[in-house]
Amino acid sequence: MDKALLAFLIIPLFAAVLIPFAARYRPRMADILANVTLLAGLANLAWLALSPSMIASEFANLPGDGLSLLLVGAIYLVGLCVTFFSAWFLDENLPNRPAYYSLLLVSVAAMTGVVTSTDFFTLYVFVEVLAVTSFALITTDESFAGVEGALKYFFLTFPASALIIVGLAILMLTLGSLSYENLRIFMSSDIPAGPVTFGAALIMLGFIIKSGVVPFHAWTPDAYQGAYAPVSAHLAGIVTKISGVYALIKMATLLRFFDGRAQALSEMLMFLGLLSIAVGAIAALRQKDFKRMLAFSSISQVGYIVLAAGLGTPLALIGAVFHLFNHATFKTVLFLNSASVERSAGTTDMDKLGGLEHSMPWTSWTSVVALLSTAGVPPLSGFWSKLLIILALWESGLRTYAVLALLFSIVTLAYFMVMQRKVFFGKKTAAAESSPEVSAPLLAPAIVMCGLIVALGLLFPYFYTYLKVVAERIII
Amino acid sequence: MNDPRLVLFALTALFSIWAVMARSLLTSAIMLALVSVTVSLIFFDYGAPWAGVFELSVCAGLITVLFIGAVSLIRSEEEKHPESRARFYALPLAAAIFAIAGWFYLPPFFAEMAGWARPGTGGGTIGLALWDMRRQDLLGQVLMLAAGVFVIKSVFPRRTEK
Amino acid sequence: MNLLLIPIVLPLVSALALLLMREKTRYLKEVLASAAALVSLLAAANIFLLPQQELVYSWLGAGMNFTLRADNLSAFLLLAVSLFSAAISIYSFSLPAKGSSKWFFFNLLMTQSFAAGAALADNMVAMLFFWEGLLVFLYTFIALSQDTAAAKRTAMKAFLINGVTDLCLLVGITITGYIAGTMSMNEISHNKLTLDYGWSVFAYVLLLIGAVSKAGAFPFHTWIPDAAKDSSAPFMAYVPAAIDKLLGIYFLARASVYLFQLNGTMSLILMSLGAVTILVAVMMAFVQKDYKRLLSYHAVSQTGYMILGIGTLNPVGIAGGLFHMINHATYKSCLFMTAGAVERQAGTGDLSKLGGLFRAMPLTGLCFLIAAAAISGIAPLNGFFSKELVYKGALDTGYPIFFWAAELGSFLTLASFLKLGHSVYFGSRPEELKDTKEAPFSMLLPMTALAAICVAFGFGARLPIENFIGPCMVALNIQTPMLSGFHADKLYFVSVIVILAAVINHMLGLAAGGGKPSKSSDHIHYAPVLKEAYALAERRAFDLYEQSMDRVVPVFSLLLFKVDRFFDWVIDTVPSRATGFLSGASSRFHNGSYPLYMALTLAGAVIYILLAAGNGGLK
Repeated sequence: MDKALLAFLIIPLFAAVLIPFAARYRPRMADILANVTLLAGLANLAWLALSPSMIASEFANLPGDGLSLLLVGAIYLVGLCVTFFSAWFLDENLPNRPAYYSLLLVSVAAMTGVVTSTDFFTLYVFVEVLAVTSFALITTDESFAGVEGALKYFFLTFPASALIIVGLAILMLTLGSLSYENLRIFMSSDIPAGPVTFGAALIMLGFIIKSGVVPFHAWTPDAYQGAYAPVSAHLAGIVTKISGVYALIKMATLLRFFDGRAQALSEMLMFLGLLSIAVGAIAALRQKDFKRMLAFSSISQVGYIVLAAGLGTPLALIGAVFHLFNHATFKTVLFLNSASVERSAGTTDMDKLGGLEHSMPWTSWTSVVALLSTAGVPPLSGFWSKLLIILALWESGLRTYAVLALLFSIVTLAYFMVMQRKVFFGKKTAAAESSPEVSAPLLAPAIVMCGLIVALGLLFPYFYTYLKVVAERIII
Repeated sequence: MNDPRLVLFALTALFSIWAVMARSLLTSAIMLALVSVTVSLIFFDYGAPWAGVFELSVCAGLITVLFIGAVSLIRSEEEKHPESRARFYALPLAAAIFAIAGWFYLPPFFAEMAGWARPGTGGGTIGLALWDMRRQDLLGQVLMLAAGVFVIKSVFPRRTEK
Repeated sequence: MNLLLIPIVLPLVSALALLLMREKTRYLKEVLASAAALVSLLAAANIFLLPQQELVYSWLGAGMNFTLRADNLSAFLLLAVSLFSAAISIYSFSLPAKGSSKWFFFNLLMTQSFAAGAALADNMVAMLFFWEGLLVFLYTFIALSQDTAAAKRTAMKAFLINGVTDLCLLVGITITGYIAGTMSMNEISHNKLTLDYGWSVFAYVLLLIGAVSKAGAFPFHTWIPDAAKDSSAPFMAYVPAAIDKLLGIYFLARASVYLFQLNGTMSLILMSLGAVTILVAVMMAFVQKDYKRLLSYHAVSQTGYMILGIGTLNPVGIAGGLFHMINHATYKSCLFMTAGAVERQAGTGDLSKLGGLFRAMPLTGLCFLIAAAAISGIAPLNGFFSKELVYKGALDTGYPIFFWAAELGSFLTLASFLKLGHSVYFGSRPEELKDTKEAPFSMLLPMTALAAICVAFGFGARLPIENFIGPCMVALNIQTPMLSGFHADKLYFVSVIVILAAVINHMLGLAAGGGKPSKSSDHIHYAPVLKEAYALAERRAFDLYEQSMDRVVPVFSLLLFKVDRFFDWVIDTVPSRATGFLSGASSRFHNGSYPLYMALTLAGAVIYILLAAGNGGLK
């Protein structure tokens, strides 16, 4: 366990336990406590990573490997956006309001645990905690779709847990330890990898299922679509990324994909990544529901990260980590906006929506920023991460992969343009007539995230030095 | 092989099959809890008390609660559309096929695995290596317990209201 | 700022400043434009008087310099460009028929700036840049001069003709630069290219096409008569009459004498081109019934003399060509100005509706007489001397046929100007024109100034030949022979005979046309064989542009359209159908069925595990 970041796990846990007592008589206390906890954590993180001396020394004194710090930042950021959004979005009479915030904080704590763990079994435990909290969060509003989505999520990711356990057993048997460090040392030695990689492959398969990579993606559209609106942002923005994709990146570095020790595994991962990109993008083109389309888009974007992780070169890993972070920013904006649209127009069916840009200009334009970033349009942050990934592919001689990744990035733009036209542009429909802009607090998270998207895009050179430090540390 | 151990294994198998074949979801959830209980007893018997404790607390306690929560969520729907159970009668057959296949393939598999084992790393037995290093998981277990409590707090108020 | 930059930058900046002004301001734009043109003129005069200057910026990376180089020829050309810009901007001061004055002066100053740049550029790429810039403003100049569809159409015609030929020039310059190994004209001239092998012949022919098309020679001239009808008089006086001729002939001289060492065949081709241009255009000019249109055909025809002069490749002929270039610009500008003045005062340019205006507009009439005499080559005006040099050069080549062609052109020129002058300024004045008055001072001033130059360059022909043409010849590295002076040799008598013949022809025409001066060309217009030829020409049967637009372009564009539709189908319809099919299929697949999803997940997991075990896992 990374000691420097332990506080970021314990404090939300503490706050989560505190909330039911504090909010017994005044339900609003739950909102305040959750938001303050996450905001304080975020401020603390910002100071940790962005203090002047840290920038001056080009991040040489980062605690840990730098990757955990960055991801804890992303977790807190998305968590804060979701809790802030929820504070104004939640139904006043929701009986389980304090429990909802407690679960959010526990899931933040669990995600922090995932990214700070140094051992596969710890990782597994935290991932299971995440699965439990997600299951409850999805069903927050008790809708039929929500319950169905939650059950699909639970039961389709259940084989993943089983596979991870089997993989852990084999790894334990053959390696004698489950710590990252031992696996890293083993992989850089000359001992034939054999069953160790098989064990790792099983663990990896578990996390592939949890990431929602095609063909193990089937639970994602139903879960995201059915989930309670702010929860889908939480889930798509960060939870599935941390509980699945992060582990894949971590394993890619531990198994040393870049020096070809686990060539077959690396190739399989890359193929699955490309398959996800393609299937997600093509399926997103024809979706009728806003949130379902975003879910397929999420599958496609996860494909990019998995593809880069499978390649495993330093440049690709920088791209993967950066894309993970970017995905958290833009997908959160889009899902929160879909929640706003649902709140305002009463539906997320794209055939019934249209012309919302007049009544909801802020929602419309933050969506534009986010979707352009997703599609990789310069100078937004998504452009840089996709560029890094495609460059890394090209440099490794995988021209076909690079070209296809680029091509599907255009398809990404296409389905988002379809979405933007159907929902925000075009003629006003009956549903759009009586849909005012949502209140400022509901807009604030999306606007902050858009600011971050633009800022990261413009200040990319500084961010790149940070990512380089990360890549150097995790690849040694 | 002494008898109590065999009895425990047999009980585990029995409860497992019962869990799958039970007509009522509630029954299968309870059977699952019983599977966990017997498995934790096996753990104690093999000298792995930590594993036994966690199996008992997390699987038998928490997961069962979760399952029962989930079952109560879908129960009303379930009763409206009673499912056709004909295909489930094929399950014992499938289990038998798996068992025979396992009989043939698993021993050589584990033998090969054992050949790959690197006992030098932990210094002692595998169990020691596993459970001596587990202190850091305590935090995770605490988190799991907290999550379980909040899930119950989240799911049940709604049930009682309806 | 370097002196060389002033004639380029000052008009450019002024033109941009003009755009900031409101359309309604009175005289502000005119004053600004005139002031910019006058200051540029002073700067150009200064450059001309100073010894050769050079301005070098490194440009486009290695080996390519942006060089402005004012040798004698370039400085002379710059002076001429600036002079005509100043004259036209003053002339346009109070002319209403020039379209929006803001855009008129903008175009005028831009044209001046780019023409100055093209004249000064030593690097061929830089010259091409300025040259192509002129193309843009040629289009806007015509398109904005009148608010009619015809103006747009003619502008497009001018644009396309010049665009295609500029493209030839571009290719020619590229090949020339590649062969010579440098883009600097000065460096190439030290080691001239010869026409010994195919590529260099090709390059030269492309340069030739670019140059003669800019000058408006046959067969690239067809937009000029149309522009005469569809644009304004100052545009005609400025661009086709002055700037285009100056630049075209300038570059023709550069290419033919300075950059390439031509051989006899190419000389014959050039002279034939000149002779054909003279005759074809003058035949068309002769029968025209509109003031400006008639002048515009002459503008084409006179180009023939210059090409003929340069095509002779002997010093006398080249000097004649260059001298004729500046003379032609002077009197043809002056003539177009009189056309503009008459149009403004009388309201029409139709010869049959005009007449007897000399009494009403004496000064304009006088300017017309001088300029018409000059263009017709009547001694001792400037046109006589330059034509005489061209004739002499043509005779020296040993092919007298070109001499006779030129003399025939001269005869028809004079005949058509007798007709024009008679119809406009003499004869009886129609009732409607009773109240016609003299043109305003701002129009008369540049007109008389140009007429005065015609006279001065005639009586004192030694002056321009020694001060302008001589140095130009030096700049082209040609030994200058004795050029000037009035020789009472047989050429003079030939020209007297031509004059007499033209006068007799005019008398005949008058008699045949029933005394109407505007019909004095009908006896030739409707002569047996010529009648059909003219009828065809009226139907634009000889106009390459119109013919290709009517016959070739529709077929070609239909073909391109089909090809385009095909590619559109390939890159648009096919992928969208395919993705539509695939995404439809995937939507149908994701139907929410749990067993299906589970089966998919398990199948995927089994394949994954088998692959992982098979490839380096458990072996």
